[in-house]
Amino acid sequence: MKDRMEQVLKKLSSQCDYLEVHVEETEESRVQFTGPELTDLGKKVDFGGNVRALNKGGWGFASFNSIDRIEEFAQLAIDQATLVGKDKSQLADVEPVKADVTLDLKSDPREVPLERKVEIFRAYNKQVLDHHEDVTSSTVRYFDRFHKRYFANSEGAMIYQERIDLGGVVAAMVARDGDSQSFWVGFGSTDDFGVALGLEGKVTDACNVAIEKLDAPKVKGGEYTVVLDPRLAGVFVHEAFGHLSEADNVYEDKNLQKVMVLGREFGRPFLNVYDTGLDKGLRGHVVYDDEGVPTEKTYLITDGKLSGRLHSRETAGKMGERPTGSARCIDYRYPPVCRMRNTCIEAGESSFDDMIAGTKLGIYAITASGGQTNGEMFTFTAGTAFMIREGKLAERVRDVTLTGNVFQTLKGIDMLGDDLGIHDGPGGCGKAGQFPLPVSDGSPHIRIQNVVIGGE
Amino acid sequence: MKKIIEKALAKGAERCEVFYLSSLDTEVEYEASKLKNLSNTEEMGFALRLVKDGRMGYATTTKADGLDRLVDDAIATSACGETAEFGFAGATDVTGAELVDARIKELSIEEMMKRSEDAIAKLLDYEGEINAESGTKRRIQTVSVETSEGFESTQERTLYQFYISGRLIEGDNMLDAGGYYGGTAMDVGGPKLVDETIADFRNGRTNVDVSSGPTTVILTPRAVADVMMTMNYGVNGSIVERKISPLTDKMGETIFDERVSLYDDGLMETGYSSARFDDEGVPMQRTTLVESGVLRSFLTDLRTAAKLDLPLTGNGLKLKRLIQTKELGKMPTVDITNWDMAGGETPYAEMLAGVGDGVIVDSIMGIMMGNLVAGDFAGNVVLGFKVEGGKMVGRVKDTMIAGNVYKLLKGQLVDLSSEVTRVGLMGFIGSHNYPHLLLKDVSISSKG
Repeated sequence: MKDRMEQVLKKLSSQCDYLEVHVEETEESRVQFTGPELTDLGKKVDFGGNVRALNKGGWGFASFNSIDRIEEFAQLAIDQATLVGKDKSQLADVEPVKADVTLDLKSDPREVPLERKVEIFRAYNKQVLDHHEDVTSSTVRYFDRFHKRYFANSEGAMIYQERIDLGGVVAAMVARDGDSQSFWVGFGSTDDFGVALGLEGKVTDACNVAIEKLDAPKVKGGEYTVVLDPRLAGVFVHEAFGHLSEADNVYEDKNLQKVMVLGREFGRPFLNVYDTGLDKGLRGHVVYDDEGVPTEKTYLITDGKLSGRLHSRETAGKMGERPTGSARCIDYRYPPVCRMRNTCIEAGESSFDDMIAGTKLGIYAITASGGQTNGEMFTFTAGTAFMIREGKLAERVRDVTLTGNVFQTLKGIDMLGDDLGIHDGPGGCGKAGQFPLPVSDGSPHIRIQNVVIGGE
Repeated sequence: MKKIIEKALAKGAERCEVFYLSSLDTEVEYEASKLKNLSNTEEMGFALRLVKDGRMGYATTTKADGLDRLVDDAIATSACGETAEFGFAGATDVTGAELVDARIKELSIEEMMKRSEDAIAKLLDYEGEINAESGTKRRIQTVSVETSEGFESTQERTLYQFYISGRLIEGDNMLDAGGYYGGTAMDVGGPKLVDETIADFRNGRTNVDVSSGPTTVILTPRAVADVMMTMNYGVNGSIVERKISPLTDKMGETIFDERVSLYDDGLMETGYSSARFDDEGVPMQRTTLVESGVLRSFLTDLRTAAKLDLPLTGNGLKLKRLIQTKELGKMPTVDITNWDMAGGETPYAEMLAGVGDGVIVDSIMGIMMGNLVAGDFAGNVVLGFKVEGGKMVGRVKDTMIAGNVYKLLKGQLVDLSSEVTRVGLMGFIGSHNYPHLLLKDVSISSKG
C-alpha cells in the first residue's frame, strides 16, 4: 500500500503545491437489542481512500472505493484544485513524519467472540426489561471498529496508524398513561473492552432514574443559577466554547477575528479550558491527526482569557499561528476539518456541597442527552435534574434544556469544582456533514449564574 | 448480485436479500464568499441479509473483491442472530416516480460554480460585511435490491442540492440566515432563497427583548419542520411496537385539531427522499398519517409490519440521520420519507396582520435532544422575530421555546396558512411541505 501511495505522489505532485493520499480499512461489529429483540447484528468491511490536492490556495478532493483507479482520482483532485486556486497556498510548516502506530490495548474487543458479545448485551437488556413493570422497552447498542489508516503527502510524510474505537449504551424506556421517559448508561474507549463489562449496578440506577422521571414535574421555564455535573459540564464546554475555537470558523472572517482575538476575556480568572489528543484510551485520543501532524494539549482559555484555537495546517498558516494537530475526518469520504479531541474545563477549588449550599434557587442538572451550537448561542439538554431550594437539593424535575450565549455564559461560571471527571459515550460530534466523530469531554462540577431554561 | 445470492444459498442460507449502492457526488463549496473546494465522492458497496437455520445474518462491504468475505460474515452473524419472523420482498412491479433529471446529469462544474457565485454576489450586494457560504452539489445514485424470493429492481436517482448562508457580525452579535433546496430535480428557486435570506437579515438586524410566558407564536414552515421531528417518532411502527409512542393505542382516534391532515409521501414529486422502492424492495407510497385530525396509519418496514400485522408503507430505509445520505452499513429501519401537511384557509399576510403581538419563530436549535418520543421539545430560537401590532419589529435571541407537539396541534392551534411551502434543511431527511401555523399560549423563556 505504501509503495502505491508513494508512486502516485512521486508521479503527480509536481503539478500542484501540495498533495496527500489517505487509504483506510475499517472492520466493524455491531450488536443492538431493541426491546426483547436482537434488531441488528452485523459486520462491516469498509475500504476506501481519498486524494486531496492544494494549488494556489484552492483545494480539490476525490474519494473512492476502487484503489485500482487511485491515479485517476489523484489527477482529478489536482485538476479541481487548479480550477479553484487563484491565490496563494499557505500551510503551516510541520516536520514530515514517518511512523507506524500500532495497537496497545488493555483488552481487545476483537478477541471477544461475537456470540459472547451478544450474551453480554442480552444480559443487560434482560436486566432492563425485567426491572419493573413501567419499563416498556429498551435499547442496548454496542459497536467496535478496527481502523487501519495510511497517510502520505508530497512533503515526505508516511504514517500508518491502527486504532480501535468502541462504545455503546444501555437505555431503559419507561411509560405510564401515555407518558414516556428514558435514562441510560453510556460507555466508550479506544483501548479497553472492559468498559462494557460490570455495568449492572449502573443499569439498575438508570432504570430507577427513568421511572422517577415519570413522576417528576416539568421544570418551569426562566432564568436560573445552575450547577452542572461533570458529564453535562463537559458537553457544555464542547458546545459553548469548543466549536467557536475551531479556527476554520475564524481564519477567513475578519469580523470574527476581531471578536475572537487572543487575550480577550471570556471567563473569570480561574477559568482554564484545554483540548487534548494525548489521553490514551479516550475516544478523543489521537496520535497524528489526518494531516499527519502530531497531536498535543492545546490551551484554549488560560486564566479566563482566550489563549489558543484548534488549527489545521491551513488555518494555522493563514493566521500565522502554530498548528495544533486538530484536522480530523470521520472517514475517507471526507476531507479533514478543524475538530475537537478531548475538551476539558480544568478543576478548581470548590466542593460540590458548597455550590449547592450557596444556591438559594437553582437547578442541578445531570448528564447530557446532547448539545448544539451555532457559534454564538448554544443549547444542551440534561438527562435528569433536581431543583435546588434554600441551599439544598430538592425535588426531581424533568425536560431541562439550557441555553446560553458564549459571550455571557462563560463569564457566568462563578464556581469550579475540585472533582474533574472525563467521560466517554457512544456518540460523537457533528460538523460539516461529518458525524459522528469520536470525541471526549470533561469538567469538574461547575456553577453558572443566569442561565435560561426552557419550559412551561 | 446474482452471484452473491448464489454464493449465500450455496453456503446454506435459506433466503437472502442483496442491496447495492453506488453514487457519485460532485460538489463546489464557497467559504468566506470565495470558492474554496471542489470535491468528487465516488462510493459503492453491498449489503447482504440472509436467513440460515431460521436466523438472520447481516454484513456489508465496500470492497468489490470482498464478496466471499461478505457472504462468510453474514453466515457467521446468523449463528447468533435473531429468529427471522418476516420474509424478504417478493416479485413486485415497481414503476412510478420520475427520479432522474437529465439537467442534473449534464450540470457542469462551471454552471455549479456560477449558481453559487450569483447567489453570493446578490447577498453581498445587500451587505458587503456578510461572510457568505454557498454550495452546489449533485449526486447520481443507483440503488438495486434483489432477493432470493424474486424481487429484482434497480433505480437511478439524480439529486440536486443548493445552499446559501451568511453570517453578519456586528460587535459581539452574530446573525445567521440562509436557505437550502434539495430534490431529485433541478431547482429553479436559487434566487428566491437569496431573497428570503436577505429579508431575514433585514428583519433580524435589530435585537429586541421579549418577555417570558405563554405567547402567541407563528411557526414558519421551517420551524414547523423542526417541531414535527418529534412526531417522526410517534408514527414510527417500531416505536409503536415498543409501546412508548403516545399514539400506540390511538389508531382511528382524533389526535389533532380537525384542520390537520398529514402525509408521508415517498412519491412526492421531486422530493429528496422519493423513490420507487425502499431499501428492502417495498414499493414507496403516499401514506395518510392523519386525516382531518384522525390518526390513520403508522409507518412500517418489513419487520415491523409483520410484527404488528400492519400494511407495508415502504419506509424500510438505510438513512443516516443528520446527513442526507444512505448509510450502507445500517440495517433498514423505519424512517420517514417526505412529509406533507395540508394548508388552511387564511393567507399568510392576513394571519400576520391579525396576530397582534407575538413572536415569529423561524428556526429552532436543539430539538433533537429533547424527549422526542413523547413529543416534547425545547430549543433555542436561532432565528425569530417579535411582532407588535401585526408588524415585525426586530430579532428575538437568547430565547427558548418549549412545548409538546400533541398539544400544539390540538388545543393550541389557532390557524394554518393557506400557502404551503416546501422546506428542507441540511440535516433533515427529505423534503417537507408545511403551512405557517398560528399557535396560542406557547411557552417562551428569555433573559430577565
